[in-house]
Amino acid sequence: MNIRRHPIGAVLSALVIAFLWLPLVVVFIGSFDTNSLLTSWTGATGHWYSQAVNDPNVRAGFETTLVIAVLSSLLSLAIALTGALWWRRAPGRARLIYDGLVYSRIVVPEVVFASALFFLFLKLHFTLGLPAIVIGHAVLNSAYATLILQARLIGLDPALEEAAADLGATPWRAFRRVTLIALMPAIIAAGLLAFTFSLDDVVTSYFLQGTSQSPLPIVLLGMIRFRITPEINAVGVFVMLLTVALLSLAVTVLSTAGRLGRSSRRSRLVSLYER
Amino acid sequence: MTLACFVIPLGLIFVYSFGSENLINFNVEFGWTTANYRAFGSSLYLDTLLRSVVLSVGTTLACAVLGLTLAYFISRQGPRTQRLLLAAVIIPFWTSFIVRTYSWVDVLQNDGPLDNLAHTLGILGPSSHINLLYTPWSIGIGIVYSYLPLMILPIYVSLERIDPAIYNAGADLGATPWRQFRRIVLPLARPGLIAGSIIVGVPAMGEYVIPEILGGGKTLMVGNIIANQFQETGNYPFGAALSVTLMALLLIVLFVLRRYQVTGEPAT
Repeated sequence: MNIRRHPIGAVLSALVIAFLWLPLVVVFIGSFDTNSLLTSWTGATGHWYSQAVNDPNVRAGFETTLVIAVLSSLLSLAIALTGALWWRRAPGRARLIYDGLVYSRIVVPEVVFASALFFLFLKLHFTLGLPAIVIGHAVLNSAYATLILQARLIGLDPALEEAAADLGATPWRAFRRVTLIALMPAIIAAGLLAFTFSLDDVVTSYFLQGTSQSPLPIVLLGMIRFRITPEINAVGVFVMLLTVALLSLAVTVLSTAGRLGRSSRRSRLVSLYER
Repeated sequence: MTLACFVIPLGLIFVYSFGSENLINFNVEFGWTTANYRAFGSSLYLDTLLRSVVLSVGTTLACAVLGLTLAYFISRQGPRTQRLLLAAVIIPFWTSFIVRTYSWVDVLQNDGPLDNLAHTLGILGPSSHINLLYTPWSIGIGIVYSYLPLMILPIYVSLERIDPAIYNAGADLGATPWRQFRRIVLPLARPGLIAGSIIVGVPAMGEYVIPEILGGGKTLMVGNIIANQFQETGNYPFGAALSVTLMALLLIVLFVLRRYQVTGEPAT
């Protein structure tokens, strides 16, 4: 009996994959529907895309999201990079604590984390708004960035840096010319990952936005509460394409580098995947 | 130098990790501590807590069943097909969270594709509707949908390493496919299943966005009540108490699962 082509398994698997794709197809089709109530298909139009682009709410939300994503991914990288470099040479116990802190940021429910940060800012009299959101995203997303950098650092041979030092490079120069170059693919991928997660975040932004302009996902959430329109679908398709493009780029950067490094394609997929 | 650089992020992380404890100090200062926890006594909050637990456990189980099926199927394909199928699983997961979630409003609403399908197949009479949207069911579907890839991948990783010869050996020894599945696949998939249950069950418990969109403000989970305390009611200490309770609940679950993972022996 060949399980590999067992019909029941194939049918079930096809159903599960259809389940994963069905809603995306519905959104895609819905973004072209001329019927603004989406109750029945009356024809295709690109009108909703131009309406979405010209919607001041959507524009302002998107601009805010971009600013937050750029700043928070840079800050995430700074936190993750310094942390991971320290972790590499840290004693065993400190490493364990550090790993615990990284994983706890991934496991703790975002609502709990966001409310804790909200409290902290309240106590410090730190005004809620854009800077608060940037810090929140950076603390959260730097954990994922750290995992990617750590994976790369494990595969990095310390002999390379020792060789640079033997050849008379100052520690800073050795770091810049050897370590940083070797880490570059991981840095780019980690940055893209943090950027994408920041684009997508709702909960932390919602808690920390205060009275400032909401980022796009929250603008969308507000629009959805009212009614789903083809315009929302058009924005959705746009955001969907943007995130898929960015993450594909991250995977490509990692797998191009992987041919030189030692991590397998599969482990990279996994590391990108466990958000 | 790197050590000095690390102090800043470490400080941030520490501040955050102690943040949830600071909340209690904050409460104590106002002398509200027990009152906040006693407020759970009201059946509304207990119901919500119970609903969150049921939804989180139920969706984790559903993810485990669906995830095991697909992961097993993928792991038995050739390398090219495997990669293709993995991409088919991962790409939907990469799309925007909000978009992924609200798309189910499109799908599940009355007069939506699913409703129409039920009418075409004659499951429902012409005057009745599926009425799935804005019920606990639609929240459950949304959670399973969003977290399913997180279950498939760890299971796939633990199954993918299995030598196909083991299956052949099972077949040669006369095991039926079902018996092979139960005696070979299930024990080997166990670490992946537990890891998957942790990364699905824990965030599902504190989910905010999915019940907000698919619950239509009617069927709420703990995450929504916490958010409401901060955004609408302004009862911060109570929200904090809820957060701490949620955290404590999850720590217990994690601890139990962890023990299971370490001491659990393959089922025989």
